[in-house]
Amino acid sequence: MRLKRTIKKYLKVWYLMTAASFSSFIINRSMSVLLLSGKFLRFIFFLLFLYLLVGQTKALAGFSLNQVVFFFLTFNLIDILVQLFLRGIYKFRSLVVSGDLDLILVRPINVLFRSLACWTDLLDLITIIPLIIFMVIFVAQGKIVFSPIGILLYLLLIVNSFVLALAFHIFVAGIGVITFEVDNAIWLYRDISSMGRIPINVYMEPIRSLLTFVIPIAVLMTFPAKALMGLLSWQWVVFSFVISGVFLFGSLRFWKYALTQYSSASS
Amino acid sequence: MSKYFQVVRNTFQEYLVYRLNFIMWRVRTIIQFLLVYFLWLVIFQNNQVVFGYEKAQILTYILGVWVLRALVLATRTDGVGGEIARGDLSLYLLRPISYIKYWFSRDISDKIFNIGFFIVEAAILIFLLRPPLVFQANLLLILFTLVSIVLAALLLFGLSFLLGLHAFWAPESEWGGSRFLFNIVLEFLSGGLFPLDILPAFLFKFLQILPFSYLIFFPLNVYLGKLTTVQIFQGLVVMGFWLIVINWAIRLVWQRGLKVYSAVGR
Repeated sequence: MRLKRTIKKYLKVWYLMTAASFSSFIINRSMSVLLLSGKFLRFIFFLLFLYLLVGQTKALAGFSLNQVVFFFLTFNLIDILVQLFLRGIYKFRSLVVSGDLDLILVRPINVLFRSLACWTDLLDLITIIPLIIFMVIFVAQGKIVFSPIGILLYLLLIVNSFVLALAFHIFVAGIGVITFEVDNAIWLYRDISSMGRIPINVYMEPIRSLLTFVIPIAVLMTFPAKALMGLLSWQWVVFSFVISGVFLFGSLRFWKYALTQYSSASS
Repeated sequence: MSKYFQVVRNTFQEYLVYRLNFIMWRVRTIIQFLLVYFLWLVIFQNNQVVFGYEKAQILTYILGVWVLRALVLATRTDGVGGEIARGDLSLYLLRPISYIKYWFSRDISDKIFNIGFFIVEAAILIFLLRPPLVFQANLLLILFTLVSIVLAALLLFGLSFLLGLHAFWAPESEWGGSRFLFNIVLEFLSGGLFPLDILPAFLFKFLQILPFSYLIFFPLNVYLGKLTTVQIFQGLVVMGFWLIVINWAIRLVWQRGLKVYSAVGR
């Protein structure tokens, strides 16, 4: 009963924050159009590049053109999902620098939830819908081979990727509390995760191992698509869930430590 | 002149204040390089020539893109729109300083700082990766490359500054959206992701009319010796044309912008 009440409270808070952020996008319509155009062009340009490149060479690290395209589509799905719900990290620095984080700390709500989920991006919601439709059509046309268990694993690993991305965002927020510098840390995460636009198998050792075990971009971006195509062994599936759990646990510990360093500057 | 030298020094000091941010920015440029580098490397595992490029040529191109990101694309002028929108421009209008020269000085500082770090990073990565590279021996081509890089840096500065002036008419956050779109277009149309001549011929010819392809693709092709002397001169003329057009547009937009500027936020 208490859990139900808590969930209801958080859903209401999220709804209110989302409504506020959506209003902001609607007010700045021309900005929204420009941002949306930029996102669309970025997607199209890289897709065009993949079609040109892999179309010419027929394969990339043993993957066919359609498989490479599906890796890229999955990368976009995960990236947009994360941006959709955790966009608040981009506003986190101003909270810390101005001392406004105090106002969140004293409220009866989880600070991380309030900080990370405070800015639901309407543009990401607009872009994710056609992306999912495109992916469904792409898969339904039989461009890649998959099984029903593959679909289940794919969905589970997408959720797992979100948990892992959440852990990364919590780490970045913690760094922000300690150093007052968030902007480049979150962009660094974006750049490292962008290495998952292509399957991690493309990278040579030791970078491949680094992207699998140390900064698990392989788990974040490559493994879900591999699972759908039946190219991921059960050991790697277990590894994916374990490493996400470890990262989430570690990030929460780090966050707690970071809060002890918060100096409430400028407040 | 000394006041602009002071701006260069101040910009240096800004970087030293936010050291972690700067280090992360440098790491980001390395990651962007590695993504494209390994992608092309794996392509050449089973191919000798792709799109008319040999392995050494394409890896030199990728490394060259990294250099030109530091020398040409690195700019501080993305702050122009914000200053106008916040009304901070008033502070400069009251001072005996040229706003465009002020930002140009900041850009010079930015490029010096970036290239200094780039040399160290590139030396380490070349030592670790040992890629086959093309070393141009023709001094004339090297000279043309250097000239085209200087013109490209001026071109990018002009384009980016002009975009920032858009904030005179859009003092809300629209200028942020246009900057985002500009950066995406710039990355692709300049040849930052791949050499533009792999595109279909009609698209490639169209892109050669626009100024973007002269920021990265053109200087690197001059260096690689893929252009004839006539093509090099044609390219330099197009760059000169765009510089004149952009310079004229900046003057016009600046004068008209000042007429509508109301120092909102101050």
